[in-house]
Amino acid sequence: MSVRYGLAALCACAIALCGSPASAASNNVRITGLTDVAFGSLTGGDVVRAQNLCAYSSTATQGYRVTATGSGSAGAFTLANGGSALAYEVQWSSASGQTSGANLAPSIALTGQASAATQQQCNSGPATTASLILIVRGTAAAAASGGSYSGTLTLILGPE
Amino acid sequence: MAMLQMKRFGAAGVAALLACSSFAAQAATDGTMGATSQGSVGISASVPSRVQISKLTDVAFARQDPGTAASNAQNVCVFSNTATKGYNIKATGSGSSSAFTLANGSLTVPYTVQWAQTTGQTSGTSLTTNVALTGQTSLATTPGCSSGVATSASLVVQMSTTALQSMQSSTNYTGTLTLLVGPE
Repeated sequence: MSVRYGLAALCACAIALCGSPASAASNNVRITGLTDVAFGSLTGGDVVRAQNLCAYSSTATQGYRVTATGSGSAGAFTLANGGSALAYEVQWSSASGQTSGANLAPSIALTGQASAATQQQCNSGPATTASLILIVRGTAAAAASGGSYSGTLTLILGPE
Repeated sequence: MAMLQMKRFGAAGVAALLACSSFAAQAATDGTMGATSQGSVGISASVPSRVQISKLTDVAFARQDPGTAASNAQNVCVFSNTATKGYNIKATGSGSSSAFTLANGSLTVPYTVQWAQTTGQTSGTSLTTNVALTGQTSLATTPGCSSGVATSASLVVQMSTTALQSMQSSTNYTGTLTLLVGPE
């Protein structure tokens, strides 16, 4: 009996030790509030589409990094119309309500971002905490073939 | 001296706008809570069919020998963003009923207009005023031929000896040729 109790105690201890690093478990992030982007008909000049979203980080500093990849070749920020491509630019701001921010390069993390979100979906506290800005330059649109273009932009947040 | 001033119509003037397409890209997705969180947005845009004619220069036939036909060829840029890079071109003169004529008061003299869809040509397809020449294609890859080929088509303006011999000496005849390009 004493041996069995000893094993049980050891197991309990091991379980407790496995669950002990609470700080690592809390290093979570979440990105919500994203909406699709419709540039419409590009008839001239730069076209900017900015949206506010919720970027949450549970780290002590509420820090995070963001990485964007497009649906173009090698993750390029391009929209496609058959074999034709239309380039766009991606910017990020760690503040809500912005129409410009730091330029993102495909698959390269923008580090050093911090969030004011206090709830993982911004259901309380600030409703949004960051800005995603997409731009199609007039020069790119002017040289593009006529037609309808579409693509997908994927954003990945990581804790810092 | 006979002076012909060119007019060009850019993309804004001749754009055949396609209807803005409805959004058909993937719907946005939010991320879940975790060590990393991934979300995505669908993006859509449409580009209307557009053309542009550029690099036109005025034409001057000065002190022309009436016994020799006059010809002026110039290289121009026509850009078309359609899938085939196709376009049509229509020319109109400043004479009566858009005739290809130069004038000095009541005095008039005719000229002819030719178009070639390649650069460096001294002859091409004869244009009739206000009648589109269809089925043209361009090698231009950017508006204004800012990169790629420098020019893509040839405009040829000619005056016959008959026309030259009908002109009054020491008299300036002037007119305007307007070129309108449309996408195909």
